[in-house]
Amino acid sequence: MNPFASTVSLNMQGQYNTPNTHKYSVILPTYNERKNLPIIIWLLAKVFEEHQLAWEVIVVDDASPDGTQEVAIELARVYGEDKILLKPRAGKLGLGTAYIHGLDFCTGDFVIIMDADFSHHPKFIPQFIRLQQAHNLDIVTGTRYRSTSTPYLAEAQPGGVHGWDLKRKLVSRGANFLAATVLNPGVSDLTGSFRLYRLPVLRHIITLTQSKGYVFQMEMMVRARALGYTVGEVPITFVDRIFGESKLGADEVVGYAKGVWQLFKSV
Amino acid sequence: MARLHRVSIYSSILISIYLLVLFEVLPITLIDVSIAQEILPVIPWWLLVSFGSYSLWSLGWRVFTFRDCPEAYHELLQEINEAKNDLRSRVVTVD
Repeated sequence: MNPFASTVSLNMQGQYNTPNTHKYSVILPTYNERKNLPIIIWLLAKVFEEHQLAWEVIVVDDASPDGTQEVAIELARVYGEDKILLKPRAGKLGLGTAYIHGLDFCTGDFVIIMDADFSHHPKFIPQFIRLQQAHNLDIVTGTRYRSTSTPYLAEAQPGGVHGWDLKRKLVSRGANFLAATVLNPGVSDLTGSFRLYRLPVLRHIITLTQSKGYVFQMEMMVRARALGYTVGEVPITFVDRIFGESKLGADEVVGYAKGVWQLFKSV
Repeated sequence: MARLHRVSIYSSILISIYLLVLFEVLPITLIDVSIAQEILPVIPWWLLVSFGSYSLWSLGWRVFTFRDCPEAYHELLQEINEAKNDLRSRVVTVD
């Protein structure tokens, strides 16, 4: 189909002086994010408006008891019903199914997945987009472990993490080393969940994934590489747990190792 | 073919070649047999130790060079404040 005759393109002509007529959908799975949601949407709106990009945010809320959905409706009033879509679900059903649910309502041609708790900053999205366009990549992922992007992007800043002590860093690097040795995925940050996908690519991969939690993000990346999709990486800064504490127990470690083994066997 | 299967096939081929050479079923050219017989039994342990030391070095180096980003944290806090003020003026519940 002629890309200049797509709905997005026709609607945008004459409104923006921009060469980028793609529409970017952000899928935000939320659970009890009443405090964070307005701010993350404000940051997203600011970034997209600054760069003159067509955007939408799909908030997939798993029946939060704290009123996240009311805040989402207020934000839809402020930013537009076409920009903030609230698609709630009946209960806490998991991340993978949240993405599948959100994908049903996407009207963009690229999908960005990220966390709603400020660990992923929207300011990196234009860098993702620029890298994707420069090399026609199918997937661009954020990495916390690199200082430069692959392939090269001039405006990339070194990545990093804030809020991790030595033990957490060791665990993180160890886990990544294990997964990289066993699976050889070709990306430096396997468990990262700040990614830009081409819509058909995400649809394809998500129908194939079977795991949950940390391993779900790993599986998506490993399957994407196995299917031959092109992947680029951009360094991101990750500010962990700006409110609250996280715990990494032995159960999670065992679950992770099992997940890696499962992927080794099946992909 | 899954990665497990590929790795299993390659490693079985390599291990069988190694065992054949070790038990002198296959001859080695260019190296004295006695020297070869001293080196060959040690090769698996050598591989293990090399892998272990590589992993240790790699892990240690990566933890050492793991970047902290306090400036990102401060910038984020400022932006959160800015966002809250802006949203309050547009009548959205923050907090």
